[in-house]
Amino acid sequence: MTDDRRQMTAKARVLVAMSGGVDSSVAAALLVRQGYDVVGVTMKLFEDGSELPDRPCCSLDSTSDARRVAELLGIPHYVLNMVDHFSRDVIADFVAEYARGRTPIPCVRCNTFTKFSDLVAKADGIDAQYVATGHYARAIDGELHRGLDDNKDQTYFLWGINRLVLKRLMLPVGTMTKPETRALARELELPRVADKPESQEICFVPDGDYVKILRRELGDAAPALSPGRIVTMDGRDVGEHGGFARYTIGQRRGLPGGSGDPLYVVALRPETREVVVGPREALLGTRVAASGINWLVETPPLAGDEVQVRIRHRAPLAPAVVEQVDDGEVSLSLLSPVSAISPGQSAVFYDGTRVLGGGFID
Amino acid sequence: MPQPPIYLDHAATTPVRPEVIEAMLPYFGAKFGNSSSTHRWGREARAATDAARERIGACLGANPDEICLTSGGTEADNLAVLGGWRVQRGSGRNAVVTTPIEHKAVLASAHQAAKEGGDERLLDVDATGVVSLESARTHLRPDVAIASVMWVNNETGVIQPIEELVALAKNVGAVFHTDAVQAFGKIVIDAKLTPFDLCSVSGHKFGAPKGIGAVFVRRGTALAPLFFGGTQDRGRRPGTENVPMAIALATAMELTLREKDAECARLLALRDRLEAALLERVPDAVVHGRGAPRAPHMLSLSVPGTDSESMLIALDLQGVACSSGSACQSGSVTASHVLNAMGVPPELGSAAVRMSVGKLTTDEHIDRVVALFPALIAKARSMAGRF
Repeated sequence: MTDDRRQMTAKARVLVAMSGGVDSSVAAALLVRQGYDVVGVTMKLFEDGSELPDRPCCSLDSTSDARRVAELLGIPHYVLNMVDHFSRDVIADFVAEYARGRTPIPCVRCNTFTKFSDLVAKADGIDAQYVATGHYARAIDGELHRGLDDNKDQTYFLWGINRLVLKRLMLPVGTMTKPETRALARELELPRVADKPESQEICFVPDGDYVKILRRELGDAAPALSPGRIVTMDGRDVGEHGGFARYTIGQRRGLPGGSGDPLYVVALRPETREVVVGPREALLGTRVAASGINWLVETPPLAGDEVQVRIRHRAPLAPAVVEQVDDGEVSLSLLSPVSAISPGQSAVFYDGTRVLGGGFID
Repeated sequence: MPQPPIYLDHAATTPVRPEVIEAMLPYFGAKFGNSSSTHRWGREARAATDAARERIGACLGANPDEICLTSGGTEADNLAVLGGWRVQRGSGRNAVVTTPIEHKAVLASAHQAAKEGGDERLLDVDATGVVSLESARTHLRPDVAIASVMWVNNETGVIQPIEELVALAKNVGAVFHTDAVQAFGKIVIDAKLTPFDLCSVSGHKFGAPKGIGAVFVRRGTALAPLFFGGTQDRGRRPGTENVPMAIALATAMELTLREKDAECARLLALRDRLEAALLERVPDAVVHGRGAPRAPHMLSLSVPGTDSESMLIALDLQGVACSSGSACQSGSVTASHVLNAMGVPPELGSAAVRMSVGKLTTDEHIDRVVALFPALIAKARSMAGRF
């Protein structure tokens, strides 16, 4: 295309969510390179960012990094204050789920509500036709597909978004591997971001200590944080725990040791505050029931259809048969047993690379 | 190529004037001396600093020894409020009186005094953003160490009744400080005419670089220093004197005062035209501080059904640089404590946009902003409730 023609074509505007990390920085750079009218934003999601200097995102430093990258790319950059909505839609649910004896994934709700609903509204506000992020996933013709880098695929966290948003979604690093992304960041000389450590923790939980958040929100006297009994599956009392919210299905840490086979948490009973333990085999299950289902395809699977399901981030895809599809609920039967099917985590359904939808495990 | 962007944020900062840069330059080069040194380089620097101090003093109706140079408005406010309170600790005067609409530099200094045992009192503010004299009469009592009220509010541009407030403070023997950061060059500030004890200014608001300010300290007014070290500035502000910046401040102040009457008339006309045109096109827009005396360069406006953050982004994408009241360090927009104190409902306060005209502003800028405003408002309102 000649320069003249390029100027005559009004380039579509893309709002890109920039955390200050390498993935979203490279995503923004790629969109600029492709000639889009790119507007960068960093979402301010919680107040105590400045107290978490080394966070990969949301801290003052990360925001500054995003701004520096945007300046280098010659695009505008804004900080969006989304503290109230994030607190309501993500943190409050995170706390409530633990209080109910479940193990939440806040990233799913952040994507569903904050990034791909609130942020899309912000995009509409500036007439941005597209919304882009640095997720490792691919949006192709209104469908969501796994990222090409199997190690990094983030579709597990993306099943909850409004299907209509997929047509407006751009995921520029979804076709790249993480090493390729880093290499490109170095090649583009993006300041500070190329060698940033991976963000594995939950952004609003300092040092991975989620109990601190629960204590702040629920108070020390909350049932979920109060002592209770550790019992075996056959009802034997084997000790005391300091609050069931400190436990998650499949956990070994914090359980009485001693002779015999190692014990694992196999269930939480919030109504009696009991943590139920059992041998490793007791974690195995073949049935997955999920609710709050969201479909990302026009024709969802029916009972009897075979799908692949993922019940934990980075777990291998497990073949399963759909048993029942109801009003927002799905149950599946796995062809071979998997370990630690945890209520509150997501069950995400795939057909090859394509994400069909997902739900929260009951 | 789109039209060049429009800078409507002169209350945030201003470009450094070429005359100021020129005046500073020799002191980055051959005249690099330390004004505390005995030798010729030192003498040269000392003479330059002293001359600058004298010129700055003259611009404020002050003697050279009454000018304390600081790193800017924030340090000037801290030194005045906290230094003015601390030095009186144990004297029976323990109260610090200020207002809820001050710049954070003053408010946080007053909070710090309270943390150190001071009695912090905030005066009432009316709906137009003017500090209540009645409230001042109530709170200014013989136990007050220092009272601090800004001359011009940095969000609304509202001018405060400083003459009356100084008189009330003097009646009870309290030290009076005024933050004149937004006032200098816009209204008359003369220590000979108004008996304030302390007065802060900041150079980058009127054509000097960021990083230089001053506090006028009337003879006989004691301050506890914030810094410790050398004896520069009579020990009030230790640290090697910043010679080029002192010259920059003096030069910018002189230029500003020389042009003051004509420039203020020009700015007032621009601001009033902008205000009238925007109100004509968006009749339900609310101008904060309307009805109160206001400095000529500022317009604070809320359009119901919009929010500051979206408005600032939309304006910037159209090439118009404005601001909300106060931005936090991350750059995100936070609710305005000033509008809140004026009793502006939160949904209106969170929609405030501050436009401040100045040196760079032209008639054509006003026309362009007025022309694009209605569509921008319509868009913002169509988005209301989506977030």
